[in-house]
Amino acid sequence: MVQSKKQKYTFLAFCLIPTFIMFSIFTLYPLFSGLYYSFFEWSGSSQDKTFIGFDNYIELFNDDIIPQTIYHDYFLVAAKVVGIMVLALFFAVALTQLKIKEAPFYRIVFFFPNIMSVVVIGILWAFIYNPSMGLVNSGLEAIGLESWTRAWLGDEDWALPSLILPSVWAGIGLFMLMLMGGIANVSKSYYEAAEIDGANEWQQFWKVTLPLVWPQIKISILYIVITTLNGSFIIVQVMTGGGPNNSTHVMGSYLYQQAFQQYNFGYGATIGVMILILSLFTVMILQFLMRRERVEY
Amino acid sequence: MRRKRSVGQIMGRAGIRIPLILWTIAVLYPIIWMFIGSFKSNGEIYANPWGMPDQFNFDNFVQAWTDYSIDTSVFNSLIVTVLGALLTLVLAIPTAYAIERLRFRGSHLLFTVYIAAMMIPMVLGWIPLFFLLQQFNLLDNIYGLAMVYAVSQLPFTIFVLTSFMSTIPKSLEESASMDGLSPYGVLLKIITPLSMSGIITVTIMNTIQFWNEYFMALIFLQTEGNYTLALAIDYISSEAEYTNAWGTLFASLTIAIVPVIILYAIFQQRIAKGMTEGAIKG
Repeated sequence: MVQSKKQKYTFLAFCLIPTFIMFSIFTLYPLFSGLYYSFFEWSGSSQDKTFIGFDNYIELFNDDIIPQTIYHDYFLVAAKVVGIMVLALFFAVALTQLKIKEAPFYRIVFFFPNIMSVVVIGILWAFIYNPSMGLVNSGLEAIGLESWTRAWLGDEDWALPSLILPSVWAGIGLFMLMLMGGIANVSKSYYEAAEIDGANEWQQFWKVTLPLVWPQIKISILYIVITTLNGSFIIVQVMTGGGPNNSTHVMGSYLYQQAFQQYNFGYGATIGVMILILSLFTVMILQFLMRRERVEY
Repeated sequence: MRRKRSVGQIMGRAGIRIPLILWTIAVLYPIIWMFIGSFKSNGEIYANPWGMPDQFNFDNFVQAWTDYSIDTSVFNSLIVTVLGALLTLVLAIPTAYAIERLRFRGSHLLFTVYIAAMMIPMVLGWIPLFFLLQQFNLLDNIYGLAMVYAVSQLPFTIFVLTSFMSTIPKSLEESASMDGLSPYGVLLKIITPLSMSGIITVTIMNTIQFWNEYFMALIFLQTEGNYTLALAIDYISSEAEYTNAWGTLFASLTIAIVPVIILYAIFQQRIAKGMTEGAIKG
């Protein structure tokens, strides 16, 4: 190739540097500077930014709402992992193993909520939970359970559990497809061998399918955990705004309230650092717990 | 290996359809009901929230257009989406090519830095970003938002494009540069057209992402004239508690979801494949 060293480096610089500058300004700098902001008390105007050391972190540990937000986040994580994985695994097995003719139809329908906007999902489900017109209460009345009707999103005990259904509803399709991909890679001969050995479909599921799609299950769980810890606040913000009486606040929605509604930007950044640490820590622990050797038959 | 199915198995096969059909209803019913609701008057929604309208009327759409100037929001969303998606490509294609094909010291590290950014909760960065945009006079500005969107999807886009580019045979580039094509020419005339399939997949996904995005818009946009569709819907929704303009709310939700449905109808396989692979390898 006729190309001088200088030309090569110019081209390399052309490819990499503009992109990296943009990435540094809009992603790397904000992350590091968020860390830095967490040591200041700051209401947003440039004059009154005062260095206060670890005071924000001390405040964080003494803030009664913080443990609640952490609990709410992990409650949603656990509920979503169980709800999504059980249903997604069931649907994935049903659509791949049982030779259902209209399987592509179900696949297309189940995946669609994954590409809907959280705003649309949140508002739609807020209406489904609407105390006077919503589907849930009308349904309960129709089957004679008037005593069970309530203002779902306005009830301190029920608001947070009510958020599970829309989250699961919106998430299943993607994980179903991921698991279906895993099952499709399992060779038919394993099932034939299992059948000759007299294993019924239920045993085949436990002894063949589950161990062999374990890598996909593991990735799915990790993915649900990461996306929930990093993004559950969006549906919370749309559906309840953290209320009633903080009963649905998660870490991210509390950060939004502190920083952008009450102008405690330093304290907001401290909450952000906590989210970062907790989510990295959780992922590391999960990876350690789920390090199970890949099964090869 | 064929054998006769027992009665139990046939029953089982019918039984398995029950949960599948129930979930289909659970997914489709709220969406269909939202469409129907957008053609009902408020009176009808109150009297019979889950039934069919007496007659289909378009008043809700007219009202969304006139009272809530949703046309401005649709226009803003379009600008943000199209500009964001284009800028993402301009930034991502050269970097993906350099990382995948021009081995240089630190290429692996650079790739790792981009990929790691996919796992980091960006909410921490949004506070400094708010003040950064303010300094650049890009706060409450849809072009600023488009830029933020583009950079936010950079890691994912680079990730998808590098894996597509790795499948292009090296000999094509080599013979092109033998023929005297500059590296810029190779990138523009050989690599870009050959990775078109990957570029299309990733662009559709970025487009849907930007069209749907809510939270960054909530933080970085402030005046109603700059609202994207997601913010306008959120605004109409919070107003509806007092005005009870439910029909208008449904109409605006319908406007937001129809483009996504159209994209999904055309590119269903690409979208599903792109998202699952992005999640598995990322």
